[in-house]
Amino acid sequence: MSGRPPLRAAVVGAGRMGMVHGHLLQVHPETELVGLVDRDLSLADHLASQGLRAPLYPSIEALYGATNPEAVFICTPTHTHLAVVRECLARPVHLFVEKPLATSRADAEAILRLASDARVMHAAGYVYAHLPVVQAAHQLVAKGVLGEVLRFTAHAYVSEVFGPKQGWFFQKEQAGGGVVANMASHLLFILGWLFGPIRGVTASTRSHFSRVDDSAQVLFTFATGVRGLLDTSWSVPGTQMLDYGLTIDGRNGTLVLGRERILLHLLVPAAGHDAGWSEIHASDLPADTAFDVSPHIGGEAFYRQLQTFVDACRNGVLPFCSLAEACNTQRMIEAIYASAAAGTPVEA
Amino acid sequence: MTAGGAQLVLELRPAASRHYASWTERLGTVARFSRPDEVHALCEEAYALGARAVLAVVDAPIREALLEFQRWRDVPVWAVVPNMFAFIRDLTDLGMVGAARARFTRLGPAAMVRTGLGAVSRLGAIRRRDFATGTTLVAEMELAALRGLRVTRLFLHPQVTEVALAGGVSAAFTALADRAECLGIEAGIVTHNPLRAAAVLGRELGRFAAVVAPCNPKGYKMFPDREACEQLYRREPGRFIAAEVSAGDAVAPGPALAHVRALGLAGAVLDPRFVERAFRAGT
Repeated sequence: MSGRPPLRAAVVGAGRMGMVHGHLLQVHPETELVGLVDRDLSLADHLASQGLRAPLYPSIEALYGATNPEAVFICTPTHTHLAVVRECLARPVHLFVEKPLATSRADAEAILRLASDARVMHAAGYVYAHLPVVQAAHQLVAKGVLGEVLRFTAHAYVSEVFGPKQGWFFQKEQAGGGVVANMASHLLFILGWLFGPIRGVTASTRSHFSRVDDSAQVLFTFATGVRGLLDTSWSVPGTQMLDYGLTIDGRNGTLVLGRERILLHLLVPAAGHDAGWSEIHASDLPADTAFDVSPHIGGEAFYRQLQTFVDACRNGVLPFCSLAEACNTQRMIEAIYASAAAGTPVEA
Repeated sequence: MTAGGAQLVLELRPAASRHYASWTERLGTVARFSRPDEVHALCEEAYALGARAVLAVVDAPIREALLEFQRWRDVPVWAVVPNMFAFIRDLTDLGMVGAARARFTRLGPAAMVRTGLGAVSRLGAIRRRDFATGTTLVAEMELAALRGLRVTRLFLHPQVTEVALAGGVSAAFTALADRAECLGIEAGIVTHNPLRAAAVLGRELGRFAAVVAPCNPKGYKMFPDREACEQLYRREPGRFIAAEVSAGDAVAPGPALAHVRALGLAGAVLDPRFVERAFRAGT
């Protein structure tokens, strides 16, 4: 604990993610949950019964009339993010926006402009980027351990959609897409964080069961010249939580990123790492987590994500997971859908 | 293999709900453990290593395997309910009412009547979508569906447990303990946040015969840190059972159990990877 006064935060949208963030804001020693906002006030008893003790307000206006949050967590359906951000920024509050940022690149960039103009801190909820192994992999690439990065292959799979689905999450207009926008975007964020902006993509998507994309194959070219392949589907058997993998080849070796470990093969030693094979296991990395709100999905990454946001708000320095980085992810999502629709490569 | 007086417990849950080193390993393992005979074989390997209880999130293959296993072995099941991954999927596909109905229709006639009567007495709380009531009701239905298995301990699924602990909802746990008492069995807690559990439950923690929480020499998944967790465990080692003993496969079976033994914990939970590794090594 830093001894700083707690960051007073509110959550807009009391669905599943809103409840997760609400709980973490109550548990974290440097934050205080001062309110929840949802149009469905009948949720009040349910939320209270879960131990979410802050009042539930029917609107942001009502929240602002009753309390004075320093930060707002936006957990409403994706298509509402721009309008909610605009309303929240009636006051200069720091913004945390759940992923994906928006249903279109234009909306995502508008959100970023609003936040930048308001000079507030901001972050997006790509939680897997906060896993210790992912951050360790980023450090290795950033330090140049692999030398010039040449190529990668990646996958993101989950067993979720095997028939028609209901709800906003499966409506393109409301969710921004299917597996690419809502599951693979976790990995797209990590790819963008590792390799920067894309130059172009060639993509194919398919709807096997739902009315949105259930699978996709993508060939990326990044501005740096890095090229790579992503295969994703939420209609494969065998994994109840998101299973991702990433193999990166550079001139000096290969890095294989999994859920619990990094395998590294180097041709010559670099940055303290020996030549040949080595392993970095999650258990070798500091977790820096006081509470695990979701042991099987996300784990310590949720707490670390919140800590990153709190630090940004307190230090006035934008975090690596800022809305600018999330805009880069949105550009990738939009380019993938554009290429798939056109059946041709697309420049980003 | 022994843990020096510590009870060994096999941990079973749907293989698709675990992490693996690669996609290939995942598919191979999930396919193998979709077969009840393979799960049964794993139970026998664990038994050979000294495991005398099975902590289980039960799906169809696991249920079938445990029924077969318990015909031959006097090994009780410690049931973890509800199966949250299945429940969340049903919530998405069927809604809250549909998910509850799906569980209700799986019950036998007597359990249907019992559950129905129990629900009637809690209609107000159900209408308010009270968390502790809803959790308990779903847990009761899943427990009732385990008929035929010898269950001696009852645990809430960790995804529910951590939410209840975050919110300080001790009622979710006391309801579980009450239900377990009614059934003549014991209640337990599975958590990654044992310190929070102790803080939320206070003296009520004494109602839970076992608290299953991470314990390994690397501090893996021990939140907020290894030192704080071990301090808690040392205060009442007989109540705690070590989970994540191999720290995600980073610690070999021998040293993993030696660590549990050194702390004097009541037992250790062994995941399938640990069991197969130890069995093949003949540890």
